[in-house]
Amino acid sequence: MAANNSVQTTTPRGSSLPNRNSQRSTLLKVVILGDGGVGKSCLMNRFVSNHFDEHSFHTIGVEFLNKDIEINGEAYTLQIWDTAGQERFKTLRTPFYRGSDICLLTYAVDDRASFRNLALWRSEFLYYADVEEGSTFPFIVVGNKVDVPESEKQVPTEEARAWCAENGDPPLVETSAKDATNVEAAFGAAVAAWARLEAKLDRPLIEDTVDLSKQQSPHRSSCCMPGTESNKVI
Amino acid sequence: MFEPTEQGKDVFTHGGVVLRGANTREDDAQSTGTLNIVEYSYGKCIEWKPVEVSVVSENQDQDPEWSLVDSHTRRTRTSSEGPDSLGRARTVRIMLTDLKSFRVHHGGQQLILMQKDGTTYVAFFQLSNAENFVNSMKAFMKLKRSRVDKNFYHVMDEFNPVLENSFSHLDLFQENTSDYVWKFVRNLHNRPYETTLEAFSKLADIWLYKEPVKRPVEEAVADLLNRSLTIDVPHPPVSVSSGEEYEVIGDAGSSVVLPPRPPCPRGAPLSQEQWDRFKDPEGRVTNPKAVREIIFRGGICASLRFEVWKFLLNYYPWNSTTAERIELRKKKTDEYFMMKLQWRSMTPAQENRFSDYRDRKSLIEKDVNRTDRTRVYYAGDNNPHLAQLYDILMTYVMYNFDLGYVQGMSDLLSPILCLMDSEVDAFWCFVGFMNKVSTNFEMDQAGMKAQLCQLNALLSVTEPQLFNYLYKNDSGNMFFCFRWLLVLFKREFNSIDIMKLWEILWTDLPCKNFHLLVCAAILDTEKTMLMENRYGFTEILKHINDLSLHIELPWTLSKAEGIYHQLMAVESQLPDSVRVIIGLEPLNKTPASDLEDESACAGAHANGENSNGIRRDSDKSENVKFGNNEVSYERGLSVSYI
Repeated sequence: MAANNSVQTTTPRGSSLPNRNSQRSTLLKVVILGDGGVGKSCLMNRFVSNHFDEHSFHTIGVEFLNKDIEINGEAYTLQIWDTAGQERFKTLRTPFYRGSDICLLTYAVDDRASFRNLALWRSEFLYYADVEEGSTFPFIVVGNKVDVPESEKQVPTEEARAWCAENGDPPLVETSAKDATNVEAAFGAAVAAWARLEAKLDRPLIEDTVDLSKQQSPHRSSCCMPGTESNKVI
Repeated sequence: MFEPTEQGKDVFTHGGVVLRGANTREDDAQSTGTLNIVEYSYGKCIEWKPVEVSVVSENQDQDPEWSLVDSHTRRTRTSSEGPDSLGRARTVRIMLTDLKSFRVHHGGQQLILMQKDGTTYVAFFQLSNAENFVNSMKAFMKLKRSRVDKNFYHVMDEFNPVLENSFSHLDLFQENTSDYVWKFVRNLHNRPYETTLEAFSKLADIWLYKEPVKRPVEEAVADLLNRSLTIDVPHPPVSVSSGEEYEVIGDAGSSVVLPPRPPCPRGAPLSQEQWDRFKDPEGRVTNPKAVREIIFRGGICASLRFEVWKFLLNYYPWNSTTAERIELRKKKTDEYFMMKLQWRSMTPAQENRFSDYRDRKSLIEKDVNRTDRTRVYYAGDNNPHLAQLYDILMTYVMYNFDLGYVQGMSDLLSPILCLMDSEVDAFWCFVGFMNKVSTNFEMDQAGMKAQLCQLNALLSVTEPQLFNYLYKNDSGNMFFCFRWLLVLFKREFNSIDIMKLWEILWTDLPCKNFHLLVCAAILDTEKTMLMENRYGFTEILKHINDLSLHIELPWTLSKAEGIYHQLMAVESQLPDSVRVIIGLEPLNKTPASDLEDESACAGAHANGENSNGIRRDSDKSENVKFGNNEVSYERGLSVSYI
């Protein structure tokens, strides 16, 4: 009856986590936006703790979770922010956009209205995050709930793709937080998009030997902010 | 949390532990598991693994206490990694390098593990206590016991950059150096042992209380949040001198010194027998005040709640007779169904042209499916109670269209419907509840802003140290208490505790805004952890969010009442801004003209009450005394730092 009980692990994803103790990992602030009920919290929880709660509550205020991941050999810590979607709480939600490195624009494939509102979410984000140039900001569009039967799907993939093409061409990922489809892929694509943009900027890394946490990121700037921390080394 | 890609080696294991964290669902909380220390190539971590229900521990013949094991030692079988199809509990892992501190609680029955990012887990030791676990942790990491709280341990980071700094940068002595040296020498002579220890503990303090790394994004977010809340971050009441970085500063800025907190024992709940005695032959409640007092002290016994809530929520008048109440209920039933018919008879075409209505309807649909679904009453697909929840909220939209539906309302309704189990009664009780808290849901969020501001004002008197700490760490806006206040702690307590807390709050005893004193009581419990962990804006938010379902109600309530008595003992010295919070008349030491300003806190008209204790005096210099006690405090609360 006694089972052999060495630690059970999941199937390895990529390499192990080599950088946990001594090395740096890049801290990225990720904001998940979208209409109420599209599954923002569920996406976050699926990604961070690989868990889906059919009966989760709607979010009140803001919540965030951290997750360490490795993409293309680089270690990242994602600080993922999840907010309440109702208009009434807008003034308490938007301050958290500031200093974001990545923004997930989410809709539910079975909720046409949530897809229509993507443009609103995008512009709300650009306005309040105070991003200088929207087209170079790493957005990613996530169509959640692809587990619904085909008959309930209200947003065809092609249409979503077309929307993306007209709006800065962010990557599109269709996910299901419920059955775990593409959730890791979505966050992975988001980080990859961030890394691509960062590389494109082709700037020399400012080596600040005194305080590594204060490196500036050039494609997000604002007049009143003391600095952003897209490259924060922790 | 990370997922390992290799086999770890168990170096310590202990069974019979329940682990709860913010991501642990309420029903998961019951599953028992083992708490282990596991070694991986990249470091050690604490792992909690749920025990499979069908497998009983085979170790019963052994010592149930901790035992040193290696990876081959038998142990209870654990469920597989990740969620299974039934969504059962999952393995939780905390890297030791991510651990910030821990606290032993409840005579060792509980262990609170706090991570650097603010995440909190609570381990409940069911078979024994946490002592052995703590001892085993000592073998793997450097710990330092808090000076303030002997159950609180800091995990010392091996590679702390501060230690690499030269001591000259540490600004060791806050006094004039030569004074300090002379004092040291004098003290060394008089009491050599204590003085030496003191000096060493000061060094340790530098280590512990060092400033967190400055984080520009957090500061910017906090700054914007302050503007959103239009609460101006108060100035620290003490002029900041160098050397203060590591010192947990005293309350020199607050001129009000509170007496010790008196113990306030809780009482027994209102019983059927008591309730019957309070009613006259016609059914009138003869002494509502006495009833309220019993409820404040101990709540209401479960079987009676159903009846008494209708009085507390102003559905039934206390002085109504049984016959009148039957009549009233009939009337209210008609009224309810009339309003319900209004939206039920809306045609799809009408709806198409009525976007405000449509938006509210759609949001209610979504939220009803996400409200208390783990409660048996609302569980399962096509549960008829969900339809009732929906109908009541929709009818409330017609009852109060200006307010409409705002997220959070379904949380307030759910326990009421569950208790009343009647659509009509639940609706009218909900109306009564909303009348008490509707300012929380207003479009401009003025009620919420005012309450956060009031809470801040209260803390400046009850917890000046914490007040200062929060200010210095971008958290003076009290945003981290938003959820507590918006839904009156609904998300923080289990379904039984929340009913007890609400009925106590509805008594309006011992003063109005008692819920703010409850906030202060919880923060009093948490302040050591917030301050000694040196948590900043995000970690504070995380820590407070993670308190959900870990707050002990009876203790919190007696502490909150104790704070009330402390305030009342120095009542005449309290600034008006605090006096009005607890329902005292302002002393009106404030020139009336100052009230006109568009200052943030002056918007503090929560529940319609005017808080005119706020004034603008920030243009005066910091150390000017105004001839009454509240001045230095008022400066701290000053509303005009825009």
